[in-house]
This record gives sequence, C-alpha cells and structure tokens, in this order.
Amino acid sequence: MRNVDGRRLTFHLAGINNQNFLMRDEETGSYWQQISGLAISGPLKGRQLTLVLSDELNFATWKAEEPAGTVLKEVAKYASGYETKDWDMRMRHAAAVIQFPEHGMQSRDLVLGIQTAGASRAFLYDRVIAEMLVKSYLGTQPVLLVVGPDGQSVRAFRDRIPGVDGVPDFYRLNMDQPGAPSLMIDAATGSQWNFQGCAISGSAKGACLERIPMLKDYWFNWRNYNPSTTIWGSGTR
Amino acid sequence: MSFSARTRWILVLLACLAVSLASVAYPLYVIRPFRAQGARELAAALVISRIGRVLTVVSALAAVAAAIAYWRARAPMFRRISVAAGAVLVCVLAVLARANFYELLLFHPLEHPEFAAAADVRLDDDDKVIAVKIGGSARAYPIREMAYHHVANDVVGGTALAATY
Repeated sequence: MRNVDGRRLTFHLAGINNQNFLMRDEETGSYWQQISGLAISGPLKGRQLTLVLSDELNFATWKAEEPAGTVLKEVAKYASGYETKDWDMRMRHAAAVIQFPEHGMQSRDLVLGIQTAGASRAFLYDRVIAEMLVKSYLGTQPVLLVVGPDGQSVRAFRDRIPGVDGVPDFYRLNMDQPGAPSLMIDAATGSQWNFQGCAISGSAKGACLERIPMLKDYWFNWRNYNPSTTIWGSGTR
Repeated sequence: MSFSARTRWILVLLACLAVSLASVAYPLYVIRPFRAQGARELAAALVISRIGRVLTVVSALAAVAAAIAYWRARAPMFRRISVAAGAVLVCVLAVLARANFYELLLFHPLEHPEFAAAADVRLDDDDKVIAVKIGGSARAYPIREMAYHHVANDVVGGTALAATY
C-alpha cells in the first residue's frame, strides 16, 4: 500500500541496488527498496510500506477465478519494448552482480520465498512444480505450497483448517484432470479443496485456508535480503 | 577589476562546477545497472542525489553571479566566453540533477494507468500476471508490461497501492 501516515505516495523507478530496483516517491523524495518496501533514504527513512497479498498466475487461471476483474492495458507507444512471456526464464541466463553459491544454488535459480513466524525459506520453483504439493514448516508454522491447475501458478497457505486441531495432511488430486475444480483432499475431514484454498465439498466445505505471502524471485535477490534463509529442494538437483 | 579579483571569480566558478559535477556524477556512477552497490556508497549516493537537487541550484546561481562579475571585469573576450560557458554547464548540471534517467532513457513510467476487461486485452492464456484482490475488486498486471514499466501506481477497491515488478 502506498499510504504512509495518511499521505498517499506516488512512486517512480529511480535506480537500482544490486539488481533490485529503487523507487522514489514524488511527495517527499524518499528512496525505497522495491523488494522490502522499506524507505532507505530521505525524510521517510525507516518507514515500511504494507505488503498487499498478491499472486503470480497464468492469465487463464486468473480469468477463471476473476471473470469480472480488470487488466492493466498496454501503452501502445511503449508496447514494442515490452518483454516476452518467458522473460523470467530467459533472465535466468543473465549475469548477477552478487552471488551466494550456497548449497549448490545458482544466482538466478528461481525460488518461491516465504517469510513467516520469524523464519524464511526459499523453495526451489522447479522442484515445487514437479511435486505439485509441498508440505513444510517455517519455524513452528506448517505451510503448504500448492501448484495450480495450469502447472505454473503456485500459492502458499498455512496448513491449518479452521476448527480442526492439528496439522492436516493434504494430498494431491486430479493431476490428470487439469480442469477439475478440486485439486487436493485433506485426511482430517476428507474435504476437497480448490486452488484458492477453499473446501468445495466435505465437512469443511466453505472453509478457506489462510493465505501466506510468497515471492517468486531469483535466488541471489532473495538471499541478499534474507541472509538467514533456508532452502527447500536444492538437495536433489 | 584586479587580476586577483578575476581569479577569485574563476575559482568560484570552478568550485561550483566541481560541486555540481560531483552531485550528478557520483550517484550516476554508483547507482547503475550491472554493478554491485555497497551499502555505504549507496547511502552516500542517495544522500548526494537528494541534496544535489538543491545544491546544484545554489551552485548554478553562484556560477552565474561569478560569470557576470567576471564578464564585467573586461578580461579578454575568449576568457569571458569560456567563463560564461562554464556557468552554462553548471546550469545544465542543475537540470540534470533533477532528471530521472531511468525513466527518461530506460523504462518509461505509466503516467495514467488504464484498465480493461480481460476480454479486451491482448494477452495469451499462458501470459503471466500479478493479481490482487481488495474489497471485492480484482486487478491483474501483466508481467510483460510490468517488466518494462516496473511500477504502477493504482487504486484497487479503494486502496492505493503500487504494483511493482
């Protein structure tokens, strides 16, 4: 969110810091780090923007979930400069100015980064996609990463069903039926759940898992801002 | 005007030029793509960038005053022209100190973001979007556009947000 102390800020691309960009707000001239939303220089130094929960989805998946949604239109005079749809994959071959070659990680390995319960972890994107459903813990929090029916979109949830004790076991369903509305089932209630983390049948019908913010990023950038991060999925490459 | 007085005005002009050049060049040098930035040099560059906006204006005013004073000193014409050119350069640096080269030269900003229904945009089903939903309003920002513009200042469901990529 771009309201700080009741003032609405307008941001501009203003520079780069180890390949993560800097923003500058018109109203105070403060500089903000894009990945963290933290003001690092200027009158608002130290202030933190509030993160808005977001997804990175395939357009088809988003349209199916939000048929009444609206989409940012391209600006015709700049459209020739727009990236191709596989931009993030192509950028994996670009050089990085900082490296963290821990655990065999390459600078531009794509990871899904989660910070919660005082812990941070990078989940190797390719492994998550291959597994389709990943169960893990961050600190004391059980988390669930679920791959969408498009085989590319991923969401993260807290692995707790409202009103149900303990950490339920979830299992993947319908992997050979991409259009099926349910894609996982839990062992605690036998309910079937959709990609939005809501139960669509069974005793938990209507309940929704709590979403956890997750960032799809390159390893070097995630690691640079999460120095104590752990890694999931690097051991079997 | 005595030789020492003319010299003084030249020194003022050179000092203005040095300050303005440093105010513009140092941030540009530090904050550039494909270069690792250290924490201290970045902090210094950002401070210089911010104060440089005012400092270069002060410097330009001082340079112009020095050039006018030197011009009146009846030095040889080529020297007066050189000093005048120096003052012009300091003024140009004052303009450059306020320029956002990233948006001017590299990635043009979204001045007035516009939105349309999904059926009315040119996107393939496997294009990727950044999606938010606030207060019942759903919005998608195509990544192929956001990878160019990098920032979209928007209001969704009554909440002002900045979508970034």
